[in-house]
Amino acid sequence: MKGDRTPHDLGQDAPNWPRPNRRQLLRGAAWATAGATIPGFLEACAQGGTSSSGGGQGNFPSHPKWKFTFVNHVTTNPFFVPTKYGIEDACALLGCDFQFTGSENSITSEMVNAMNTAINAKVDGIAVCITDPTAFDDPVARALDAGIPVVAYNADAPPGSKNRRMAYLGQDLFVSGQRLGQRIVSLVKSGPVVGFIATPGQLNIQPRIDGAKAAIQASGAPIQFEAVATGAQVNDELQRIEAYYLGHKDLKGMFAVDAGSTQGVAQIMQKYNLAQAGVHAGGYDLLDTTLDLINKGHLDFTIDQQPYLQGFLPTIQLFLYKLSGGLQQPADTNTGLLFVTKQNVGPYLKTKTRFEGSSDKQQVVSGG
Amino acid sequence: MAASVEVGGGRGAVGVGRVARSFLQLRWASILLVAVGLAAYFTFSNENFLTRPNVLTIGQFLAAVSIITVGEVMLIICGEIDLSVGQVFALAPFIMYFTWNAGLPIWIGVLAALAVSSVVGLLNGLITVLLRVPSFVTTLGTLFLLNGFTLTISRATPVATPENGTRFAEVMGHNIYFELGWAIAVIVVMQIVLSYTRWGLYTFSVGGNMVGASEAGINVRLIKISNFMLTSTLGGLAGILESYRITSIAPLAGGTNVMFQAVAAAVIGGTALAGGSGTIVGGLLGALVLSILLDGFTLQGINADTFDMILGIAILLAMVMNVALQRSRRRGMA
Repeated sequence: MKGDRTPHDLGQDAPNWPRPNRRQLLRGAAWATAGATIPGFLEACAQGGTSSSGGGQGNFPSHPKWKFTFVNHVTTNPFFVPTKYGIEDACALLGCDFQFTGSENSITSEMVNAMNTAINAKVDGIAVCITDPTAFDDPVARALDAGIPVVAYNADAPPGSKNRRMAYLGQDLFVSGQRLGQRIVSLVKSGPVVGFIATPGQLNIQPRIDGAKAAIQASGAPIQFEAVATGAQVNDELQRIEAYYLGHKDLKGMFAVDAGSTQGVAQIMQKYNLAQAGVHAGGYDLLDTTLDLINKGHLDFTIDQQPYLQGFLPTIQLFLYKLSGGLQQPADTNTGLLFVTKQNVGPYLKTKTRFEGSSDKQQVVSGG
Repeated sequence: MAASVEVGGGRGAVGVGRVARSFLQLRWASILLVAVGLAAYFTFSNENFLTRPNVLTIGQFLAAVSIITVGEVMLIICGEIDLSVGQVFALAPFIMYFTWNAGLPIWIGVLAALAVSSVVGLLNGLITVLLRVPSFVTTLGTLFLLNGFTLTISRATPVATPENGTRFAEVMGHNIYFELGWAIAVIVVMQIVLSYTRWGLYTFSVGGNMVGASEAGINVRLIKISNFMLTSTLGGLAGILESYRITSIAPLAGGTNVMFQAVAAAVIGGTALAGGSGTIVGGLLGALVLSILLDGFTLQGINADTFDMILGIAILLAMVMNVALQRSRRRGMA
C-alpha cells in the first residue's frame, strides 16, 4: 500500500532497467500521494466506527482512555444493535473506547483470532460471548495472564468448565429455558410441540432448549417435545419452519429459542392462521416482526433478555475493575427475563429507542 | 510452462542491480512487495503489529488458509475449482472424532479423516471428469451435501478435540509453531511437485491447452482427479489442524469463508482463474496479504460494521498496486 515504493526505485542500479520518464515520475508521485492519504482515510473510517472521545462525566478521577474489546459470534446480527448502543453509551459516560468484533457467522476460529489480536493490541478489557464449550479456555487464560480482565456476555461457559472468565453478564439461559418450558405446559397442556433452535450446541441458545425440556418433563404433562434445528440464516429459518409445519400439521405448539426462529414461527403462525386453530407459539427477543405479530395475536409471547444491558453492564464492570486496580471484581449479573405479551407489547411498538435498537436517537422515554 | 520462469535467475554477475532485476522477474515479486508494504504500513500505524505475539497471530490467520490455497492453486492451474473444500474442512475433524470415539487410536482417526476427505475429492473429480458437469456446479452440490452431512452426524453440536493437552495435540496444531510447520511443509513439497515433477508439468499443460495435452498423451482425467483429491485432502488436513488449535470441533467451522479466502489468495497470488499458470509461493503470499489485512485492521480496533468495507477497499487498492507493479515488471523484462 506504500505508494512511494515503486519498481523504478528498486531497479535504479540495474543496468538494463528503463529510466523513468516524466510521465512515469508523475504517476509515481500520484501513487505516493495515494499511499499517504488512503491510510488516513481508512483510519478516519475506523474512527467513525468507534465510540466518541471525551473525558466522561461524574466525579471519577482523570484516567487513561481505556479501550475494551467485545468479541461476538454474530457481529452484524440485529439482536446486538442495542448491545452496541449500550457499549457506546457506557463508553461516552465513562470516557472509554471500544471495539466490537468477532465473527459474522458463528465461526469459532474467527472469534479466537479476534480475541488473540485484541490481546496483542494490549486492550484494557475483553468481553466475549463464550459460544463454544472449550475453544475459549486458552484465549481467556492468555488474556488474564497478560493482565487483561475478561468477562463473558450473552453466552457463558457450561457448568464445570475450566474456563477462567471472571464473570458472566447476561440472561441465566437454563433458567430462562425452564420458564419457557413452564409457560409451554400452562399454554399447551398436551400433544406434540416443537422447539426450534438455530444452531444446536451453541451455548447462547442450547441451554434454553435444555431448560425447556427439563421443565416439561418435570411437570409430567403429556407433551411430546421435539427440538429441531433451523440454521444460522434468517431466510433459511423461515423456510425450514414452514416445511416442518407442513409435515406436522397436528402440532399443538411451536416455540423457538433464538430471535430469527421466533420471527419465523410468528410468520408461519400468521400465514396459516394457526392461533385461531388453537396452536400456541412463543419465543425470544424483540425483532420488529415478532413484536408486531404478538400485537396482532399470532404469537402468545416473546422473552426480552435486555440486550442493551448486555453491552452497558460489561463496560461498566470492566471500567470499575481498571479504575479500582482490581479491587472491584466483575460480578455475575442476570440481565433478566421478561415475558412480552399482547398486554404489555404496546410500549415496545410505540416508542423507538436505543434500548430496543429501533432508533439511534438519544431521548428520555416517558412512562414506565 | 510458466513454472520455468520462477526457478531461474541469479546466474552470472552478482551486482545488486542484477539481483534486484532477477527478483522483479519473479512472477510473485509484486505481491511480495504489496505484502511488505502492508506490513510496513501497519507497523508504522500500530506499535503492537510487529511484536512476536502478533506475528504468531498472523500465523494463525495464515496457516490453515495457506494449506487450502495450495490445493486450490493446483486445481485452478489445471482449469478447475473446488467450492466444497470449506465443508471438507468442517467434516474431517468429525470423522477423526467419531473414529477415535469408537475406540480406535487417534492417529487412525486422522488417517480415516484424510481418507474420507480424499474420497470426497475423488467424487468431485469423477463427477466433473466422467459426467462432464462443470466443477463449479459439482462442488457447489457437494458443498451443500457435505454441510448437511456434517450437521447431521454431529447433531449440529460442537465437541472438544480428542487428546487435548497431549503431545499429539501440540503436533497436530495446538502449538502454532507446529501448525505453521505443517503449512510450510505442504507449501515446499507442493512447489517442488509443481515445478519439477511430471505431475506439476502435466497440471500446467492440462490447464493451458487441454486438447494439446491430451494429444500429447497426457492422461488429462487422471491429472484433474488427482488434483481434486489433493485439494480435498489438504482441506481435511487444515480442518484437523484448526480444530486442534482452537481445541474444539465445530460443525460451522470453515465453510464458504475459508474457501473464498483460499480462492482469493490463489488469484491474488497470480494464479490465472482461466488456468494454465500460477505458483504455490504466490498463493502463499496472497494468503499472507489477506492475513495481514485481517489481523492489522482488527489490531487497529476497527469495528465489525465498517470492517468489511475497509477490508474491501484495502484489497482493491492492494490489487491495483499489484497489477501496476506487474506491468512495470513486464516492461522491465521486455
